[in-house]
Order: sequence, then C-alpha cells, then structure tokens
Amino acid sequence: MTLSFAHRHVLEDHIVGFETKPNPHHLAVARRPTILSVLSHAGFEAGVKAALQALEGVSVRICGPAEWLAVSHSVGPEALLRLVRAIEGVSAFDHSDGRVLMQITGPNVRKILSKCLAVDIDRDRFPIGASASMQIAHVAGNLARTGEDAFEIIVPRSYAGTLFEEVKEMGREFALTAAFSPE
Amino acid sequence: MVSYRLAAGGLVNRGNALSFTFDGKIYRGLQGDTLASALLANGELLVGRSFKYHRPRGIVTAGSAEPNALVTIGAGARSEPNTRATVAELYDGLAAASQNRWPSLAFDIGAVNSLLSPFLSAGFYYKTFMWPAAFWEKVYEPLIRRAAGLGRLVTEADPDRYEKAWAHCDLLVIGSGPAGLMAALAAGRAGARVILVDEGFRLGGSLLSDSAVVGGLKAADFAGQVLAELATLSNVTLMARTTVFGWYDDMVFGAVEKVQKHVAHPTPDLPVERLWRIVAKRAILAAGAEERPLVFGGNDRPGVMTAGAARTYLNRYGVAVGQRVAIFTNGGSGYGLARDLTDSGVEVTALIDARRESADIAPESVRLIRGGAVTSTRGTRALKSIIADRSGFEEEIACDALAMSGGWSPVVHLMCQRGARPVWSEERQAFLAPDVGAAFVAAGSAAGLDRLSACLRDGADKATVLARDLGFAAYETEIPDVAGDYDPAFAPLWYVPGSKGKAFVDFQNDVTVADLGLSQREAYSHVEMTKRYTTGGMATDQGKLGNVNTIGIVAGMRGVSPAEIGTTTFRPFYTPVSFGAMAGTARGEHSRPVRRSPLHGWAARNGAVFVEAGLWYRSSWFPREGEKTWREAVDREVRTVRASAGLCDVSTLGKIEIFGLGAAEFLNRVYSNAFLKLPVGKARYGLMLREDGIVYDDGTTSRLSENHYVLTTTTAYATDVMAHLEFAAQALWPHLDVRFASSSDQWAQMSIAGPKARIILQRVVEDDLSDAAFPFLSAREVMLKGGLAARLFRISFSGELAYELAVPAGYGEAVADAIMEAGYEEGICAYGVEALNVLRIEKGHVTHNELDGRTTADDVGLGRMMAMQKPDFIGKHLSTRFGLTAADRLQMVGLKPVEADAEIKAGAHLLKENAKPSMVNDQGFVSSACYSPTLNSFIALAMLKSGRERYGEKIVVWDALRGSEVLAEVCPPVFVDPDNKNLHV
Amino acid sequence: MASLITCPHCGVRPKEEFSIRGDAVPVRPAPNAGAEAWYAYVYVRDNPKGRIEEHWHHTAGCRRWLVVERDNVTHTVFSVRDAADVAKARSGEVA
Repeated sequence: MTLSFAHRHVLEDHIVGFETKPNPHHLAVARRPTILSVLSHAGFEAGVKAALQALEGVSVRICGPAEWLAVSHSVGPEALLRLVRAIEGVSAFDHSDGRVLMQITGPNVRKILSKCLAVDIDRDRFPIGASASMQIAHVAGNLARTGEDAFEIIVPRSYAGTLFEEVKEMGREFALTAAFSPE
Repeated sequence: MVSYRLAAGGLVNRGNALSFTFDGKIYRGLQGDTLASALLANGELLVGRSFKYHRPRGIVTAGSAEPNALVTIGAGARSEPNTRATVAELYDGLAAASQNRWPSLAFDIGAVNSLLSPFLSAGFYYKTFMWPAAFWEKVYEPLIRRAAGLGRLVTEADPDRYEKAWAHCDLLVIGSGPAGLMAALAAGRAGARVILVDEGFRLGGSLLSDSAVVGGLKAADFAGQVLAELATLSNVTLMARTTVFGWYDDMVFGAVEKVQKHVAHPTPDLPVERLWRIVAKRAILAAGAEERPLVFGGNDRPGVMTAGAARTYLNRYGVAVGQRVAIFTNGGSGYGLARDLTDSGVEVTALIDARRESADIAPESVRLIRGGAVTSTRGTRALKSIIADRSGFEEEIACDALAMSGGWSPVVHLMCQRGARPVWSEERQAFLAPDVGAAFVAAGSAAGLDRLSACLRDGADKATVLARDLGFAAYETEIPDVAGDYDPAFAPLWYVPGSKGKAFVDFQNDVTVADLGLSQREAYSHVEMTKRYTTGGMATDQGKLGNVNTIGIVAGMRGVSPAEIGTTTFRPFYTPVSFGAMAGTARGEHSRPVRRSPLHGWAARNGAVFVEAGLWYRSSWFPREGEKTWREAVDREVRTVRASAGLCDVSTLGKIEIFGLGAAEFLNRVYSNAFLKLPVGKARYGLMLREDGIVYDDGTTSRLSENHYVLTTTTAYATDVMAHLEFAAQALWPHLDVRFASSSDQWAQMSIAGPKARIILQRVVEDDLSDAAFPFLSAREVMLKGGLAARLFRISFSGELAYELAVPAGYGEAVADAIMEAGYEEGICAYGVEALNVLRIEKGHVTHNELDGRTTADDVGLGRMMAMQKPDFIGKHLSTRFGLTAADRLQMVGLKPVEADAEIKAGAHLLKENAKPSMVNDQGFVSSACYSPTLNSFIALAMLKSGRERYGEKIVVWDALRGSEVLAEVCPPVFVDPDNKNLHV
Repeated sequence: MASLITCPHCGVRPKEEFSIRGDAVPVRPAPNAGAEAWYAYVYVRDNPKGRIEEHWHHTAGCRRWLVVERDNVTHTVFSVRDAADVAKARSGEVA
C-alpha cells in the first residue's frame, strides 16, 4: 500500500472561491513558507544571530532574547534545518506547519494594524527590517516590517483563522482583499 | 414661536436644509446644526421631562454638560437613549423622541409627582421604601423605575460595527478651542507628532461661538486658517467627534470617536464608533471652561439657559433663543451676550447684574439693573416672565428667554481621574486643575485663564515648553491680536436669597437647594455623603453643570470656604461611552479567539459534535445515523475501542520541545518522578507538582535524542505549564543549559487505540510496529508509507493497546483519513472526548477532575511517582507537611452503584449509610462519573476519606442539587484490566 | 497596575501582553533548607504599600519572566529587569 498525503493549509476554509484581483490593500497568505524555531544556548546568542542573518534566502525574525524564527521562501525545511543546526550553540526545530505567515500591504496598512496591535509602528520606531513578538488581534504573534507599507504577521496555526478574520474585518475600511500568495 | 432662526449669520449651511423628526413631527434644520439648535430654530423649547418631578425642561447648554435635553435618537435596534441633543449632529432623516413622559411630552401624567414633592425630597426612598424588605425588589423598585426614568434600552442586538485602535504621539491636545489650536500649531510646526482631538463635529471649540476678531479675522475664520495649516502637516492628526473620556496610567488616554453617528444609514465598512487608546508622551488639556447656572427659584423653566449657550446658538447657529431675552449674570459673560444679541437685532429686555458695581459696559439700548437678582420665574411650559428683585423691590419683567451666568468652572475632569483633587482658588472662585507633573498640563480657560488673547498665548507657550522638553526645536509662535472680546471675570453668587419656588442645583436629578439643606441637617454633610443622599451629581451628566454650585452652596450653609468642602471623586468616563465601543469586535463568538485543531476538518467530516474547551473546539462525540442520544454514540465508540480500534484527536495537548545539556536535570526538577535515566526513544509518564506539594499537571515526556525531549501537557494547562517551565528555567535555575519552545501547533496528533490498533497502523507506517520492535512506551520518529516523517509514541490513556501518532499539522487530515480507511475492515471509529473520558474512568486514570488543585500524588494513588530520594524537585519540600500526609485525607476510589442502572453524577457528596447530610458527616465527593458500556453499569471515581481502606463498604451518593440518593459500593479505581495486560500485547 | 510596561527586550508594551505571578522578593531556598524556610518561601508574603517587586511574564511577547519594580499606590514603574539577570545577581554573580 503506497500512500500519498495531501497537505492542507489551515486557511483554505477561509479563502474560498476564485482568487480575487488584489486591491491596493491586500492580505497575502503564504502557502508553504519554511519557518524554523531557532534557540541559542547561553553564551552563543550574538554568534547565532549573526550566522542566521548571513544565511542566504533567509529572513530572521526576533521572538525574544536568544529566540528567532528563520523564514524562507526558497530553502526547504530539511535543508534549512541542516544549515541552522550547523551553527554552534543552536537548537532548532521545524515549525513550518505550526506557524502561518501572511503579508499585509497598502498605503494605509499602519491604520489597519493600529486596530490590531498596540505597538508603535511609526517608521522611526519600527523601521524596515524590524521584527518582534507581540499581541496581534488578541493572539500572540510576530510582526515584521518588510517595506514602507508592508508588514508580515506570523501566528500559531490554531489561531490563524481568528486572526485572519479579524485583520480582514479591520481592513474593510480600505477594501482589503485576501488571497494565497501566487506560488 | 419664541426662539427662531435669524435671517443671516452662523456657521450653518443655509443652502442645505435637513429634514428630521421630533416625537413624530417633521421639522427642518440646516447642515451644521445640532439637534438642539435645530429644535430652537423651530421654536421648540420643551424637550424633556425631569427625572423625579417630571417638570417640563428645555435646553440649558450648547454642549456635553447638558442635563435636560436627553432624547432617544434612531429607531429599532439602532435607537440610542439618553443622547444629548446639544451635541447630536443633525443629519437628514434623524428621528428623535423625548423621554420620561407619558402619554406625551406636553401632557405628562407623571407631572403629578410635583404635587407629591414634599414626600420626594432627598433620601426619600431610603425613608419611604424601607419596609417590608421583600417589597423592594418586587414592588418599590419597578414602581420607581417606571416613574423616574431616562430612555429605554433596546433589547435587540446592535446591528452596527465597533472598533478599537491604538494611537501614539508626542503631544496629545485635548480640545480645539483657542488654547488647543495654538498648542497644536506650536508643537506641529516644531515637528512633534501631534494628535488634536475635540468632541465637536467641527473643530474650533469656543472660537466657533465667539464674536471677537482674531488676527483680523472672525474668530471662526481664524480657527479655519489654523486648521488649514495643521492639515498640511503630516505629523499632525486632527480628530473631530472624538471625546477623550479617561486618563490612565503611563499617559494612556481613552477616547471614543463617533465615526458614523451622524448618518442615517451607516455603511458596514466603517464602525459607528471607534474606541482609541492614545499613548502620549505629553498632553495638554485645553477643554475650556463650563459656565455655571445661577441658582434661583424656577431656574429650570424651559427658556432658561446659560448665557454662553445663548451666545453659541446666536453666533454659531444663527438662532435667537427668544424674542425678548432677559439676562441674569454675576460677571462679564452676560454683558458679552447682551452686546452680541443687540448687534444681531434681538431685543434684550433687561440685563440684571448681581453685582452692585463692575467695569463691564452694557449696550446703550439695554436696561441694566445693577445689584439685582431673579428670584422666580413664571410660565407653564415655557418662560413668560421673571421676577426681578432689587433691594427688596420686586418687578415682573416679561421675557421668553432668560440667559444666566454664574461664572466659570475650568473643565479639569481628566487631570483629576488618577487621584489628584482639583484645587480651590479664592481668586478665581473656581476649582483649578491640580499639578499632576510636567507631562500633562492644562492650558487656556481649562487652566483658569479668562481672556481670549491669554488663552491663545497659553496654548502656544505650553506646547512650546513640552515640545522642547521632548527635544524638538520649537520657536516662538506669533500670537494674533484680539479685538472685541469681553472679560468673563465674575463675583461669586452661589444662591439667590429670597428665591421663591424650587431652586435647582442639579437639573437632571431634580436636586434643589432645599435637598442640600436637608442633607446637612440630617448629618450627611461630607460632600461624598451629600452626593449620595441627594443624588446630586449622580445622573448621566455626572454633575458637570451642578457640582460646583452644590459645593458652593454647602460651603455657604456651613460657613466655610468651598476649599474645605472639596470635590467628589472624578473617575472615567467624562461622558457616557457605549458598551459597543468598549467591546469593539469582541462580541458573540468573537468574544475571544477560537483555536482550531489541525484535525477539525477530519472530525467535521466524520460528523463530530464539537464542544468548547477553553479556546478550543474539540470533537466530543460522533453520532451515527439512528443514534438518538449522545450516550448511544459514546457507548458505541467506547465498545468499538475496547473491541477493535478508534481514532481520537489529541492535537490539543500542549507540546514543548526541550533542548540542552541540562534538559534531563531540568525535567528531573520539574517532575516529581525520576527523569535522569529516561533512555533515548522512550516516553515516561510524569507528574508535576506545585511548590506547595499539590499536584499541578501530568503528561508524558519522551526523549527523542540525547539532548532533545518533547514534553506534553494537558489541554487545559498547556499555556500555564509553559509559563511555569519558563519561570523555572529563567527565574529559578538560570544556570541550567536548557532551552525550549512550544511546538503545540506544529503537530496534528491522533490517538489510535484498541486491540486492532497495531494491525491498522502498520498499514500506514513503514517501521516495524511489533511489540518486540516497538514495545510499550516507545517514542521515536517513524516514516509513513509514502515518505512522510512522523513521531510515534506507544502510550495509552484508554488502557488498550494504543499509539499516538504526530504528523506535521498540514498533513493531519490526510493521515487521519488514511488510517480510517486502513481500519475500515476492522470497523475503526472516530471517538471524541466523551468516549475518551469514559475509557479513562474505566481505567482509573486521572484528569483535572481529580487533579483539582487540592490533591496530592498519594491522594490519587500516584504516591509511587514521588521520587523522594531526589535532592530537589518542585513540590518536594512541602509535600511531607502534616496536612498533606494526614490519615483521613480524601483518597481516590472507584464507586459502583449497587443497582447497575442507578446513575451517579459528578459533584454528588458521599455519606455513610443512615448518616444525616451535614458538613461533619461529609465523607467526600464524586469527581468523575459515567456510564460504562464495558461494565454495563454506571461507575464513578470519587475522593473519599481514607478511601483505600474502605473497599467493599456501601456508601450513600447524595446529590441534593439534582435530588438523587444512590447506594454504591467502594472499590479500587481501576475497573478495566487492572493488571495492564492489554498495554503490553 | 500600569497601562504600559517597558520590557527590557521588546520595548513599550501594553499591560495586556503580560501576566503577573506575584511577589518577586522571596528566593527559592536551598534543597536542604529547613521546613521553616520552605514554609516562608511558599506562604509568607509582606503586603507593603508603595514600592514593590513582582514577577511579570511577557506572555504575548518575548516570553521572558521580568522583575517589575513599581509603586502600588502611584503606579509608577521604577524598573523592569529580566528575572534571570536578577536571579544571577542575587546568587552573587554579576548580571
């Protein structure tokens, strides 16, 4: 008996019908990004962070001191895990299925996010490249600024539906559309 | 018609007429009107009935302090009671209704209460409705509520949306009058992030009502010019229709923005209201000052209003409040109004100044009565005349409106909401804002200043200081020249001696000077007691208009300064805030986040009935066709698992990945049992205690590689245990090399249980699952057919041969489907948490029903899990306390009813046979109970005094709550396979 | 309480992101400390008015335990430190 298992994104129940043409304000859900949880053991923090940031095709998200998410759209989980585990003082595990990543963009993106989170994301205080764990629509998630008007939200899978609906609701004012990212 | 719209003037758009209704009658107003100004423009003076005496009442103010003009706006589910007509922005189609009257506003039967007023004085209901006590709830309260009331609540669900948002700024400016505008301008030009908020629908505050000339422009035009510049600054945010209602710790301000309260048909893409939390580094309170009414006989008759209100209606809305207006003042405000009315061609019949002397100059055409007072008013539903007293000589003066000014009180509420009390100023005869530190200051008339030019300068100066303090290079702001303003200085006049008839202090709650006197005579003299005894200041307006007069009058009665009386406590909210705004989107099923298991879709396809468990929705049972009750489904599921196999979603258990050289030592310290020697590839049941020796949580922990473990928790305690472990690692033993993170969401985890579990699972798993290759408590990574890596644990909660299989969450549904298909021939079934519960009760396994925060390991029969030879573990040291080792502790036992079909329910108490139910005779309680389809009997787990010594004893299961008494036999708590043979097959 | 807490790792955050455990003053005794010491650690608490130290967990942020030193009357927050640093400092090590 040979089996093949279909992978299902948790938001497939929430994103139905034909893909809509994105509006200026858009929520794009990544289908299968690689997301690793990376922990540094004591004394290795700076080295681990530097080594993570040096990895090609990997975006590093700060969760807390000595804890990061390593995100990639080009390197698969097994390959990235091998690369990361080669760094001295690291423990890491694949979290790609446990985390959902969505990108929100648009000229009024900060207005939408101000309805979802309390942190000051003014460009001087939360510049492009900044990331942090914080409460987003009552869910503990991670926010990163990827562009002047672009942010990425990473949340636990079990909360993704709630968060997705809440962000969409807050985006109604600006006609926010939502869809899976093109592969 | 008394009040009327002037032919010209005001900031209303005469080209845009709006249609609205009041009590069903159609009226026309103009864009830019409030409901109050539009009603006045239509000659409608009577807008409500008072709370207690049902006296006819008219509009008193032009702002948020309005005590009388409370109306219900909107219809059906959108109707909003107790809306102040003075701040309600007029829109086309607005439908308003008056309140607290029956059958109509003009003829109100409740007005008979006025005749009963001798019995309705302060404290009347403490005295009248005392006996019998039982009457209070059933008779008195409904009666009072019907007679004395505000608007009615609607019971339909609110159809509109609400939102909450955060904002951040360097400087928050509250109020957009002269001081606020200049403050925003000074700080905005300096480059600071400024938020300027105002409760009005048009920014400009008192400048919109002022006839002065500022910088060569009409005051309102000057406001427009400043606002135009502010609008060009990207660092400045202007927020109209937004009331700052509260000041909280760390410079967080609460504000509510009325986004769509001024439209007939709100769009669903926007909220109707938005609740803001504004984090400000600095803030300026520029909320202005409130004009105090004068307290004299009949001061509540429709047609009597504050001078400032009359001025606002005139200058901002182009409405004359009467055809012949009398003015009663103790300061310059009355003179300012007299001049503006005269300039607009409105007749001023008399200007009565309580002061004998003043430098204020009345217009030549106006009759000025110095040293005079109004002692009473006449008119039934509207003012007809006033009685003016001058040195004992009374004169009746005909008029249809009376404007009064009793001086000014700075609006300092926000600065007093965190404990500081306002400070009485003898010089200003007003309570001023307290010093609450340099980050939050008052400016303009909110700071007690009176002249317009001083307010403009104060706002600019204070903002400049604050901006510089934050490191911005702020330059001096040029202050425009002011011409044609007036000096609002005044002399105190708390109460007009010789007043006839009721002289109201608090209009909304019908509190009179006589009530205040009564409260002093009856020893309720402390200001907080006076407030509660008379209800002065307790209405929806919270005494904005009346409180300072109350204090002044009480001070006069006691012969002391108002400083000695002090104020009552200021608390949020400044004005009423709707529950909708406070709830935001958190309504109904959005009240809290929902968590969905990765097997949710699989469970739904298999017909699951879901149950809320914390934030989770868990599948509780899977009814099949023909099954009429939940019990039938659960019984079948249990039988199937015991006879063949079942699949249950256990993804909601907490999972924590633990790494490090110190991981084993860490586990050894957080669990009561030994963990140092757990081999790689093995799982172990672990018991966690609290530091006080009581059991905290349980679960299995598996060693996946030398320094990598995965720990599981119960569903309910997943987040708590994670925080507990973090505390242990960070705050207790920061030197241990242990790092961990939750992986709960990464895995879809399913339990496959039953004698056929291995056969079925082997069809899906590549690795050898024979008992020799994968014995009980094995835990390791396996490969599924088709090449999917998974984690497999041979552990059992049901007591049967069982495995827990964890696959990456996205594959959960596909793998569960594949196992169901693989087990089709064996008749595998999906089973839910109800069947799981029956299976574990039959096996005597504990859950948080037993681990209820009171039980020790020994109490629940897990004494062997206490590895006391370990030097340290959390809970070890207090676990041997006398109380935790006492012989008569409640111990977990099993119960079987003597008659198998007698039902035992959890929560029932245990009594010795023939013992009377009492605390003394209580022997314990039932912690878990179910029907066991395996034993064909109800069974239970119970906590029983010295329980393990009492097997075989008959005991009464007493359930007074549900009215049952069942005789049961005490037995060991393991009902099925006590020798664990099934686990090792 | 406070409305905002400045987390040493995450910066200014709303209080809703935190959960409070309680008094941070008691230090867990050595395993061989007597019953009195353990009793005091688990049960005995001062209830001071004014300046206090508490353990706060940045639950929705970095998930670090913090020692928040604040005034329970004025609600002023004086300092927020990582609990591991505080524990190490207490055990005689320079944080």
